[in-house]
Amino acid sequence: MSTIEFFLAGTLSAATIFLLAALGELVAEKSGVLNLGVEGMMAVSAAVGFVVTFESGSHLLGFAVAGAAGVLVSLVFAVISISFLANQVASGLAVGIFGLGLSALIGRDYESRTIAATEGIAIPFLSELPLLGPILFQQNIVVYLTFALALCIGLTFKYTRLGLAIRSTGENPHAAQALGFPVFLIRYCAVAFGGLLAGFAGAYASTIYTPLWADGMIAGRGWIAVALVVFGTWKTGRIAFGAILFGMVSLGELIAQSMGARIPSQLLSSLPYIVTIVVLAMISTNTARMRLHAPFSLGETFDGVGPR
Amino acid sequence: MNVLSKTLAAVAVSGLLFHSTVNADTLEIGLLTPSPIADVGWSKALVDGVDAVKAKYGDKVNINIIENIQEGPDADRIMNKMVGDGNEFLVLGSFGFMNGGLKLAKRNAKRTFLHASGYKTAKNFSPFTAKYYEGAYLMGMAAAELTKTKKLGVVSAFAIPELISTINGFTLGARSIDPEITVDVIWINSWFDPAKAQDSAKALLAGGADILFSNAQDTPSVVTVGEEGGAYVFNLNGSMKEYAPTKYLGVVKTDWAPFFVASVDAHLAGNFEGKNEWLGMQDDVVVVDDWNADISAEMMAKIEAKRAEIVSAAVHVYDGPLINQEGKEVIPAGERLEDGAILGMDWHVEGVNSPLPK
Repeated sequence: MSTIEFFLAGTLSAATIFLLAALGELVAEKSGVLNLGVEGMMAVSAAVGFVVTFESGSHLLGFAVAGAAGVLVSLVFAVISISFLANQVASGLAVGIFGLGLSALIGRDYESRTIAATEGIAIPFLSELPLLGPILFQQNIVVYLTFALALCIGLTFKYTRLGLAIRSTGENPHAAQALGFPVFLIRYCAVAFGGLLAGFAGAYASTIYTPLWADGMIAGRGWIAVALVVFGTWKTGRIAFGAILFGMVSLGELIAQSMGARIPSQLLSSLPYIVTIVVLAMISTNTARMRLHAPFSLGETFDGVGPR
Repeated sequence: MNVLSKTLAAVAVSGLLFHSTVNADTLEIGLLTPSPIADVGWSKALVDGVDAVKAKYGDKVNINIIENIQEGPDADRIMNKMVGDGNEFLVLGSFGFMNGGLKLAKRNAKRTFLHASGYKTAKNFSPFTAKYYEGAYLMGMAAAELTKTKKLGVVSAFAIPELISTINGFTLGARSIDPEITVDVIWINSWFDPAKAQDSAKALLAGGADILFSNAQDTPSVVTVGEEGGAYVFNLNGSMKEYAPTKYLGVVKTDWAPFFVASVDAHLAGNFEGKNEWLGMQDDVVVVDDWNADISAEMMAKIEAKRAEIVSAAVHVYDGPLINQEGKEVIPAGERLEDGAILGMDWHVEGVNSPLPK
């Protein structure tokens, strides 16, 4: 595999972690709930997914249980922030930090153990293509499914009644309630869906992308996912593009180093974060555009009675 | 468990509420590690070291381990608690425990402290560091025989002297056999990011390297990539052969047992003296082991001969002539780089392609 093939193929699989978690966060935020616990949900699910896959040998089971674990952790957050009306930022952070600790506890006896990764799926004929074959058509099935899911979520928001219900809940929960949408149920489901995808992202990280468990292995990727949602201005296509960009930057840094680029590696390591800051700054300069895309009641608690 | 113990420790320390009763006849030995104790890696090597003390002294010593302690204020509190609990002999397993540990040592003159990777000393406070570069030099010789592309890859944590001198030792060893060999280095600026370490290893392979060196990565991330990618791979501290059954080049192991045992001996005899302990193959602390069977008998003989020369101090890895990356001669033939220059090394030798981050 040449360097360029490795770079482009690796970009897609690196992007998958970011994209999965960011899509889940997108759905939660679209319903008006800012869940900052993504990093913790991913960590718990990564640990659970690894342990289950390690013991059972089944990646599928590992993913399923990891997804369930992500949902459970997200429900803890949902109960605190949606039912008990706690501040979303504070409870999200608290649940996230709790998740990091919990993941260390779960993975305690599995520290530094490894499992076999699943093989990529080579699509007949297409995978034989020069250059494009290895990049696009020999990826892990999770990579394909994630990008397909991004498309589905984008279409759901745009064209379906369900998408409309979620969006209106995020824009104005009072109006949504008046229209007869079950606001609490929608928010619970959106947060749980976010937990599910964060769980899959964690399982992907610990059983496929880097098939080993080590405490702290999520290493900030959950935070990048949260940033990606803003980066993509709550639009699925832009988030997918952003995920690929981040995958590219995080891999490009390593490749630039291996090719002897005369740029300090500390600077290269911080590139993904610098890009985030620059883009956030650029987006925020245009407040009108910002307001146009951000769910209007994002981060606000909703008590279910009375207008604002 | 470590979360629980951390919380408990933090709670207990606030005021040193409950001291455990200490039996006067047993020596309480405390070990503080910066990462979780796994089957392999840095913290495991430290645990093996104190286990050797236990093996020698049996019931006369009691080992107390607190693992996965972040460097910083948390560590200071927990160290305080360990002293409060009656540990007379403490092993502080990370660079960042230095200042807090030194303060404690000054307040507790009768207790003995060993501290990993640091540079400050006190009468009862010894920093200890391994001369990894000696073992890496021998690994370089073996790598030189097995490489086909004449390109070696290193995944490295932080650009600190300890790691730089190890890469240089590796490069010098390889080029002592085949001067055409070059070395690519990727700095991931993290002790702990297995995903990034694996990506780096793959990038090095894609760039043409066919030997990998996992420089101070505590997880088998790079080692497993080597096995999958068909590249020989070695690492530091503890053997990871089981993660690369066919492609494991070998290990530059640190065996702290002789040093820890000698220090406990000295502590018990009352003649412990704090000094900078920089330990290598002649101290039996740096041990090369688990050589791959693909290395020829002829090369193994050469490696063994070189090892004997280094142990007897007839030869030093950093004997001149030494040429740096820019092609300038740093040390002429017949001279030897001073210890201080190795301990503070901030340059690469000729043959390392990648620039050093500065």
